[in-house]
Amino acid sequence: MKRIYAIEELCLNCRLCEVHCKTAHSVSKDIIRANKYEEPAPASRVTVYGDNMRSLALNCRHCDDPKCVKACITGAMTKDAKTGIVYVDEDKCIGCMTCLAVCPYGCIKEGKTAVKCDLCRNEAELACVKNCPNHALIYTDSGDDIK
Amino acid sequence: MKYIIIGASAAGLACAEQIRKEDKDGTITVFTKENYLPYSRPSISYYLKGAVKESGMYLRKNSFYKTNGIEIITGVEIESIDRQAKTVKAGRKKYSYDKLCICTGSKPFIPPMKNVSCKSNAMNFLDLESVKKIKTKADKNTRAVVIGAGLIGMKAAEGLSKICKSVDVVELAPRVLPSILDEKSAVSVKKYLETQGHIKFHLERTVAQAKSSSDRITSVILDSAEELACDLLILAVGVRPETALAEKAGLEVNRGIITDPGTMQTSDENIYSAGDCTVSEDMLDGSRRVIALWPNAVNQGIAAGSQMAGGSIRIDGSYSVNAIDFYGLRICTCGLINAKGGAYSDRIIRNGDSYKRLIFEGGRLVGYVLINSSENAGIYTSLIERRVDLQELTGDISAVPQPFIFDKTERDKRMKGAIDS
Amino acid sequence: MSVNYIPRRFTVIRDKERCINCGCCVRQCSNDCHLFADDGKTVISDSNSCVACHRCVDLCPTGALRIEKYVCDYRENANWTPQYQQQICRQAETGGVLLAGMGTPRDYPVYWDKILLNASQVTNPSIDPLREPMEIRTILGRKPEKLTVEKKGKSTVDMPPQVVLETPVMFSAMSFGSISLNAQKSLAMAAKELGTLFNVGEGGLHPDLKPFTDRAIVQVASGRFGVYSDYLNNSKFVEIKIGQGAKPGIGGHLPGEKVSVEVSNARMIPEGSDAISPAPHHDIYSIEDLRQLIWAIKQATGNKKPVSVKIAAVHNAAAIVSGCARAGADIVAIDGFRGGTGAAPVRIRDNVGIPIELALASADQRLRDEGIRSRISLVAAGSFRCSADIVKAIALGADACYCASAPLIAMGCHMCGTCNTGKCNWGIATQRPELTKRLNPDIMYKRVVNLITAWNHEIKEIMGGMGINSIDSLRGNRLMLRGIGLSEKELEILGIRHAGE
Repeated sequence: MKRIYAIEELCLNCRLCEVHCKTAHSVSKDIIRANKYEEPAPASRVTVYGDNMRSLALNCRHCDDPKCVKACITGAMTKDAKTGIVYVDEDKCIGCMTCLAVCPYGCIKEGKTAVKCDLCRNEAELACVKNCPNHALIYTDSGDDIK
Repeated sequence: MKYIIIGASAAGLACAEQIRKEDKDGTITVFTKENYLPYSRPSISYYLKGAVKESGMYLRKNSFYKTNGIEIITGVEIESIDRQAKTVKAGRKKYSYDKLCICTGSKPFIPPMKNVSCKSNAMNFLDLESVKKIKTKADKNTRAVVIGAGLIGMKAAEGLSKICKSVDVVELAPRVLPSILDEKSAVSVKKYLETQGHIKFHLERTVAQAKSSSDRITSVILDSAEELACDLLILAVGVRPETALAEKAGLEVNRGIITDPGTMQTSDENIYSAGDCTVSEDMLDGSRRVIALWPNAVNQGIAAGSQMAGGSIRIDGSYSVNAIDFYGLRICTCGLINAKGGAYSDRIIRNGDSYKRLIFEGGRLVGYVLINSSENAGIYTSLIERRVDLQELTGDISAVPQPFIFDKTERDKRMKGAIDS
Repeated sequence: MSVNYIPRRFTVIRDKERCINCGCCVRQCSNDCHLFADDGKTVISDSNSCVACHRCVDLCPTGALRIEKYVCDYRENANWTPQYQQQICRQAETGGVLLAGMGTPRDYPVYWDKILLNASQVTNPSIDPLREPMEIRTILGRKPEKLTVEKKGKSTVDMPPQVVLETPVMFSAMSFGSISLNAQKSLAMAAKELGTLFNVGEGGLHPDLKPFTDRAIVQVASGRFGVYSDYLNNSKFVEIKIGQGAKPGIGGHLPGEKVSVEVSNARMIPEGSDAISPAPHHDIYSIEDLRQLIWAIKQATGNKKPVSVKIAAVHNAAAIVSGCARAGADIVAIDGFRGGTGAAPVRIRDNVGIPIELALASADQRLRDEGIRSRISLVAAGSFRCSADIVKAIALGADACYCASAPLIAMGCHMCGTCNTGKCNWGIATQRPELTKRLNPDIMYKRVVNLITAWNHEIKEIMGGMGINSIDSLRGNRLMLRGIGLSEKELEILGIRHAGE
């Protein structure tokens, strides 16, 4: 399946991906409202680690055999059979965060429910990829495509 | 091929799903003595406090079972297994199997207390049925007493505290959540629960007897002779593996059902066992014990299902990992949190109301207790599971674990989602 | 910090209603103009070190930032302008030569803006470049005195080496050291796609640019950095750099601390040693000496590569160009005084040299008068801001133009003029890895390609309007130009008539 890959050498640590991810996952979809006024504040699904020297924008790997899905105690975490997207059904999730405790990549964040990348499945475009100013996030079939 | 699975919670469902993945034609029948399709048992405390509705507790959509050809027979308790005839018996009906999986889970353990059994307001806190009953009996005037400050007892107490007038918790051990917390962290957690949940603790105490009027308990008397008014008594001292069926069938049982740790096969080659009724082998210290936790049950169910259908998935290694929250206090634990002895060392990092305890064996991480510091806990879990030599890491793991604790090769591997292969 | 007598240049205006405190500006500013307040959450600005590079403005996701000129009036004095007073204060503080980057910001006449182009009406038809072929292919190199052909029409003349460009625009010399490798790579990739050339400057050739050597112009400058046989032969042509428009008569000095492993490898000098380019070539004190070097390079390259000589536009540029042509150069590049630089002494940059328009016109005229125009190709350099400037230069006699600032602007440069600090926030004029990675060649080369492609379209459009369908018919065609608001003398030098004439 197509996934988002981050290219460390190109990541600027600007963290605009986080800003735009929050916006895409907000109620208002307005960048200022989403990041400043909305309550509860929308959470970013992508996290940039590191500093200006080297940084990396990390989001869910949408594993073929996802541990988070296996560990989910309510059936809220599922991997879509067609698209391969691993996502949380927020109505079912009770926020126990067992998924967080088993995700080996550190791609699930705490919230009222588990918060994770859903590959913008309800949006027209991938917010982080589209808004990365240095093309450090690419959406492609295989990680081997990265130079 | 005819597959029968006894029990329809985490292990049973995972087993059925895995069989279907590897055997498209076999008939799969899952028996549950409960009257519900597979649902999330850990959600019952959330149901109690009203955070989820019953409809949100079902693990799969109703249509899922039909689409996947998995028959769930609810409200039927299997009474015996005839290993010669390869049948199971429920009431007057017999069902034959080629491969059988026992996923009976656990049963509550109730210590002897005078005048408690058979009382209408003394209940377990284990399944949807019991919590539905509790919900009918608990209201804002109810004074509840919970016996046991383990995971189940505390989840019950949390749920009750939102709807009851008062909640008293009686625990034999000197601290709350004794299975997952050490003494130091337990003190602060207890304080938090007392202030946030208005829960009153009675540690190092047991209930000696109950006073009742007709079939209702009115108060309980502790071994200290203290008397607690009680309109609702929750018995959450602990659970034991439900092995009666296996024992009766003559399978090897030692506290839990004994299986091959890789294939989940019991002493009968056609019978498998998975989940809380089964003995696991803890990969971290080699001990054989029941690891009654959801992820473990699912993994065992998958392995058992695969083996039953002739597949090749095995259990590589079991370990405990658990996450739970109380009034927004997040507790994540994994591995050998009660490890004792010279081989182990630990590091405790406190920061405001967060607490992090990392347990090491030599140069490896073997366990953690994280209170309000569970960010990226899964990276720790993967270090534990993969037995990573911490010397190979390029960064310190005391802070929030993140990709830059790994070298470039490992980071690239992680970016490609390929660390488990 | 002691009082430095100089008010700040700019003020950062943060619209608090729009700022979401994401901290992007904090992490992007290498001048530390933005910071988190003590609460660790609120972003505030300190305008003192702002250079108006607009990195924060352009990356701010909510458009909350604006840079304003800091207005602090001095008592009016047409002679002692604030600029001079501030420069005096800076020198009073440092005791040093004032340095700056980019071309001169001073308000000298730009003759391109005083020249107008012609178009066809009635008496000759204009051409629609979208419907009819329009040739802008440019061929550089010495042309033979005359052509002789055999019976079947095949040429019997030994053609000197020629260089074919698909556009009259080339990228001027910028060395690895003055700009980042990523910037050079972007230009190289763009040159390859556009069918033109980029110039590696005097800093040698980085191994990463090897795949682009067939689009490279390599320089032999007074420091002779990185010059060896492979360097000369891995190129389209070789350029002897005598001078640079922004700093005629001045050498260069790359301090040792900037000579990293990479730079030292490319320049073939020890790591950490100062890279000094002397003011003159110490083996060239005359046209005859230049001739020796030209022939040496031709020998070294088996007479397969044209040799170019690049000079700064100075007072007697026309005579020097003529000398270069006679010394055997195939191409002469003239760099006007508005040309850019990574670092130059301010006084030199702002006071030495002459405008490219005048130097080009007089050199072209001189070569024609002497009957040797076809011996060399003339390349004009020194600030081309748009396609019309290119068209005017070609009509004044240039064969091709060197552009540097325009492609840099396409890559993010905002002409803040602080190239010399090495803190370029756009990853262009810097070697700091956390800054150079901001320039992703895969993105930037496309922007440069787009820019030049757009210019090509415009050049064709303008030529079509004139009724010209080949750039060769435009070259030196001064009838297509008219001056506006120019004196008799200026018109005479430019060789054009006044508008209305």
